[in-house]
This record gives sequence, C-alpha cells and structure tokens, in this order.
Amino acid sequence: MGFGVSGSTAVVFLGVLIASGTLYTAAAGSAERVSEARNVEGEELLDRRNTVIEVTEVVYNNSTDTLDVAVTNNGTTTLSVADTSLLVDNEYVRPNATVVDGDGDTDVWASDQRLVITVDTGVVPDRVKVVAENGVAASNTTIEEVG
Amino acid sequence: MADVSVPSLILFIASIVVAAGVAGVLIDTVTGISGALDDRGADVAENIRTDIEVISDAEGNVYDAGADTITLYVKNTGRRTIPATNESFDVIVDAEYRTNVSVAVVDGGSEWTPHGVVEVRVGNVALDAGDHRVRLTVSGDDETFRFNTE
Repeated sequence: MGFGVSGSTAVVFLGVLIASGTLYTAAAGSAERVSEARNVEGEELLDRRNTVIEVTEVVYNNSTDTLDVAVTNNGTTTLSVADTSLLVDNEYVRPNATVVDGDGDTDVWASDQRLVITVDTGVVPDRVKVVAENGVAASNTTIEEVG
Repeated sequence: MADVSVPSLILFIASIVVAAGVAGVLIDTVTGISGALDDRGADVAENIRTDIEVISDAEGNVYDAGADTITLYVKNTGRRTIPATNESFDVIVDAEYRTNVSVAVVDGGSEWTPHGVVEVRVGNVALDAGDHRVRLTVSGDDETFRFNTE
C-alpha cells in the first residue's frame, strides 16, 4: 500500500511538472510577443510626435501643366520620400519626380530638408495635402500660378 | 504470503493507473489552454501592429451622388502587410453595415504594405444632405471618418 501511494503521488507530480512547463512556455512566449509589439508601438508614437511637416509652397506651371509641391520637414524624425503620399483635390496621385534639397534619387528626407514633389495634374487644383509615412498630414490651399 | 501480495499488487497497479489518468487529463487540459494562450498572444500582437489612417479630406469629392459611392483613401500606418481585399475591412456607414466594398492598391504596389495607400470604394450608398459617419475596422483598429454632403 505504501508503494502505491508514493508511486501514484510521483506520477501526479510528474504530470503537474509537465503541465506547468507547457503553460509557462506558452504564457512567457505570448507575453513577450505582446510586449515587443507594444514597445514598437511606443517607438512609432514617439516618431509620430516628433514629426512636423509643412507645405510651404505650391506652384502650378501653366506652360508645362505640372504642379510642384514643396514640403519642409520641421520635425526631428527622418522620413521616407517613397512612403510620403500626396492628395491633390482629394485624389491620390503618384509623383512624377521627387527632389530633396537638389537630390532626385534619395529616399531620405531628414530634418529641415525641403522635399519638392512634381506631378502632372492638367488643371490648377484647389487644395493639396501631403501625408507622411506615419500619417502626419499637412495641407495648403494657396496655389501660385506661373508661366 | 501470496495471499497478501496479490491484492497489494492489484491495488498498487490500480493506484498507478488512476494517477496516470489524472496526470494525463491534467496535461491534456493545460496543453489546450497553452495553445489558446499562444494564439491569443499572436492575435493581440497582430492587432497592436495594425494601424490605419484615413487620409482623405472630409470635404470635396468623398461622396459621389451620381454613382452613390463613397471613395476614401486609407494609409497603412502600422507594421503589418494587410490583405487588400474587402474581407479585411468592416465598413459601417451611418450605423449600417455595408457589404458592397471594393479595395484597390493605388500606390503602385501589388500588396498593401506598411505606408502604402489603398482606395476603399463603398457602393450603393444613397445619402441625404447632412452629416454622415463612416467607420472602418481592420484587425481591431477602428477609424471614424465624418463628412458632410450638400
């Protein structure tokens, strides 16, 4: 009888040990994944708060039918040129060319740099809106006409 | 001697079998809970990494009265590539669930990658003049867009 009690106790304890191990692995893995996602979200929030963009100048050229939108990065977050979106009269348009401080190939749009986005619109728009990669937006309704 | 040891042996075996059964049920149950916990963690992490932003302006040509459609541009501001299909979106216009929704990637890519833009078009929407509200839900991330029609 004595062996029976100690043997069965050992088996139950073994079961409890295995179950705790499984539960701990799952709980720790899950908590780590969630906390990592929260960390990344916090970093993104910080980047977003440090992002300030301003549409400084919008020029429509009547002779070439192109629109130049000049946007200055007044914040401290370095933004991506390719991930910046432009809406002209509430329509999404893909830029023909982008130039950051004279460089037409770069994707880096750093602090205090001026990005000029060129698009073919065909008509003089009423309003342009520029949205940075993280959703921070700026708009301008003052359109200059040249040419 | 044999009379004593045989019942003892039977009791011993029986107690071990019962203990093994209890341990087996315990392990099985806890494994199930662990699996559910793991899935839940993955879902929550995915929801946290999902973030969208409606970038259309509330004024202008959001609502096309002639075609009865609402067109919105939505930017993926999260860290996850979201399938650009109408199944990813739950669209509610003025407290009514809409199923006639089409989604198209407009930034030149084939998928709705982070920082990409899609066009969400809601059809068969007959709106009166006044204030309206569109609610978009993608993987637990809600966006509310309010606009006015004349």
